[in-house]
Amino acid sequence: MTTQCPECEAAVESRTMVLGEVFPCPDCGTELEVTGKEPFRIEPAPKEAEDWGE
Amino acid sequence: MSDGFRLGIFLTIVRPEEKALLAAAQERGLEVVRYDDRDTTFALEPPSDLPDVLVNRSVSHTRSVYATRYFAHYGVPTVNEPEVLELAGDKIRTSMRLYARGVPTPRTVVALSPEAAPRAVEAVGYPAVLKPAVGSWGRLMAKVDSAESAEQVIEHKSALGAPIHSVFYAQEYVTKPGRDLRAFVVGDEVVAAMYRRSEGWRTNAARGGSVEAAPLTPELTELSLRAAAAVGGGVLAVDLMESSGGLVVHEVNPTPEFKALAGATGADIAGRIVDYAERIGRQ
Repeated sequence: MTTQCPECEAAVESRTMVLGEVFPCPDCGTELEVTGKEPFRIEPAPKEAEDWGE
Repeated sequence: MSDGFRLGIFLTIVRPEEKALLAAAQERGLEVVRYDDRDTTFALEPPSDLPDVLVNRSVSHTRSVYATRYFAHYGVPTVNEPEVLELAGDKIRTSMRLYARGVPTPRTVVALSPEAAPRAVEAVGYPAVLKPAVGSWGRLMAKVDSAESAEQVIEHKSALGAPIHSVFYAQEYVTKPGRDLRAFVVGDEVVAAMYRRSEGWRTNAARGGSVEAAPLTPELTELSLRAAAAVGGGVLAVDLMESSGGLVVHEVNPTPEFKALAGATGADIAGRIVDYAERIGRQ
């Protein structure tokens, strides 16, 4: 299943991605998040907040 | 074998670490209950469909603390425990605890105002590292080599406005051979360790430093277990530096990443965490 990068409109394949997975767009490098599996949906990943870390 | 054991995982996003944890739970036949930290709500009354154990993987310190507090309130054991997250998520409290338990740690002086901050840095000596009390991945950290550079960093930090940015944690800069060490503790065992190298002075793998497996020497193992126990134990990444007087612990991370460590050592860290969580959940 494929969908489009919301930033650059490049085709992105769902492959073995799981819900919530973050990955860089293969074309523009924008960090994306899988927000739906069926149908496959992606959105820009949440921005890093100040209290994020290990 | 599945017997209805339910492993909860509280997360923000699914990074390779969370994907590996989900896969490890699935391989073991556990039922996985996912909680997204962006849309979970918590009532005072326990919900009816609670998991048997909760693994916290939220990247937000604030959300991690409150969520684990709620699950503990509902009677669900959490990995890590909320007290551990609160303590190890705060560098100031961690330093105090390490010192109190006799775990070697770099010289550290804290100031609670921009006016007192230069004295904290002077007390540590140059070069010093100024770190935020909460947060990681090397954000807002600065190495200062002189009173002038310290003054600039202090001014910039206090201009950020939030009260926490006017708390200054100054730490001795430990001269190290271009690397530090990370040891990964699960329960009462160090499961793997690695060197992290960097061209710059920050060695965080999140900042692109390179990594390689490190031997689990008796000194590294003993010190890492003591540091983990000092903050309450569980699943913890202990960061150490090699000083002239031996290893010193500079951080204990309570929601650690492990992709780089698993890659460098071949250790099945996700599997070890899931096995540990299952043990805790069945106790």
